[in-house]
Amino acid sequence: MAASSPVPSFYLDPQIRDWVLFPITLVMILVGILRHYVVLLLQSPPKRLPRAAIREQRALVQSNVLRATASNSPIPFFFYKSISQNLSKAFADGTYLKDGPSKGDAPAAPPNPLTDPAAMDGMMAGMKTQMVMMVPQMVIMGWINFFFEGFVLIKLPFPLTLGFKSMLQRGVQTPDMDVRWVSSLSWYFLNFFGLNGLYRIILGGENAADAAQNMMASPFASAGAPQAGAPQDFGKLFKAERDNLEFAEGLHKWIGEDVEDRILRKYGRAAS
Amino acid sequence: MDLPAALQRLANYRLRNSRASRDIFESGVLVLRKNALSKLGDDRTFAHTLARRNVHRVSIGWVFLEQLALASIDIGRLEVAETCYGELTTKFPGSPRVECLKGILIEVKGTDEDALAFYEKLLAADESNGAAWKRKISVLRRTGKVDQAVEELSVFLDTFYTDVEGWLELADIYASCHQYTSSLQSLSQALLLAPQNPFYVLQAAETAYTAGDVPLAIKLFLVVVDMTDGDDDVLVKDSIPSGITVRAWNGVQTCAQRLQKEPKLSLSSASNTSSPQKLSVLEQLAKDMLRKARS
Repeated sequence: MAASSPVPSFYLDPQIRDWVLFPITLVMILVGILRHYVVLLLQSPPKRLPRAAIREQRALVQSNVLRATASNSPIPFFFYKSISQNLSKAFADGTYLKDGPSKGDAPAAPPNPLTDPAAMDGMMAGMKTQMVMMVPQMVIMGWINFFFEGFVLIKLPFPLTLGFKSMLQRGVQTPDMDVRWVSSLSWYFLNFFGLNGLYRIILGGENAADAAQNMMASPFASAGAPQAGAPQDFGKLFKAERDNLEFAEGLHKWIGEDVEDRILRKYGRAAS
Repeated sequence: MDLPAALQRLANYRLRNSRASRDIFESGVLVLRKNALSKLGDDRTFAHTLARRNVHRVSIGWVFLEQLALASIDIGRLEVAETCYGELTTKFPGSPRVECLKGILIEVKGTDEDALAFYEKLLAADESNGAAWKRKISVLRRTGKVDQAVEELSVFLDTFYTDVEGWLELADIYASCHQYTSSLQSLSQALLLAPQNPFYVLQAAETAYTAGDVPLAIKLFLVVVDMTDGDDDVLVKDSIPSGITVRAWNGVQTCAQRLQKEPKLSLSSASNTSSPQKLSVLEQLAKDMLRKARS
């Protein structure tokens, strides 16, 4: 069968369109919307952190702000240095640590996330959302596999190269069939990855309906990322930040350093 | 004024955080009345006007209620504020933001002790409630307990470092107690957090001048000029300074005069800032620019 044959090689029953293609699409959209609301229900209110914990988490912001502007600093070196030195000293002494400066010289072992109830809560919340993502997708896939296995649903209106065969004809092992025909399982995957735009229109920007994104994120992946409530060794972070501060101090340049020359040049009085 | 125009004005005020309470109140009451009417009849149109892309449809209504409540407290129409607070608290019981509104109402109607006790209660329930903390500090300052206010504010800023408003308030408190050096230090934090705002630089310049650090002051005044005199370097020469730039030129002139009259001032800079070399040229330039601004 030639791909360029003017006569279509076979016709699809319109019943397939009405009873398979549309239902699969519709079910996937509806499940996505449902999931959005279930996730909203499941979301627990953000935990309230005690003051000391917030202070610890945000201490790094101070030095970040300071460093970010170092090479074009709005404040003269005198003030910059005092802030920088103070921060550096506070980091060295562990003033910002939640539990106060460490006493013994033995470094405390990093807390185990599985025994810390606070960390456990965060992980459970992640798992719950994960379940809401996984279960419906597995059910739909099972449903399609059971009832519509091997169905050819639509013909794409444009030609494609052979490379797309595995993408568009999953579940149909026909080596000769034109690549433009799309099988039911492939249609499912296309929807799975492609419906995000539609959800964004229906549910607004930050929706929880898109399964594909959440599938890729493991519930444990967030353990390494900061701000996820995962335990971090702030003592070590602060120690590392001291080097950065020292480095930035060398880069410091106040915008007011030669401002009078700039102004005079701008107003044409530089020569006089 | 019709409904969409009123909503537009209100949204603008919210965006710029301006305190045009009378105007907000008038537009707000209009919206409130129209909203009440439309609830009876056609609810759609109202929701439709409010709807913006990516913003939850309901939320604008609630933010508007908060805005109206604050504005009506400001102009003393407490009954409207009470209505708004009532609606908000039925929708969001226990929300820290709404509770803060209640605290402000208490501040207006009750005594300062009541308000303080209320904020203490909020903070005891959730010690990281920044809004209630700030209100408490402001009440402390207003009732004359400046030392406590400074102490609390320092702890607050140590926890919530990025609060520019807090740093400015601290600078203001210090300045009101003639502690200009401390004030300047607080301002330098505000400058770090918002380096794009010329008004903070101007404030820092004036504080530095008052603190006796004239070389630093003249540099900062020049920075303000540099920041505000327009974007086109070619046209700037013939432009007429306006607004904040005039004030900065005034500062430049005063500083340059003082530095020339008392040369030892340039050696006594607390921040080790070296004073500019061409003081007479700078003074002449400032004079010319000011003459242009006044003519």
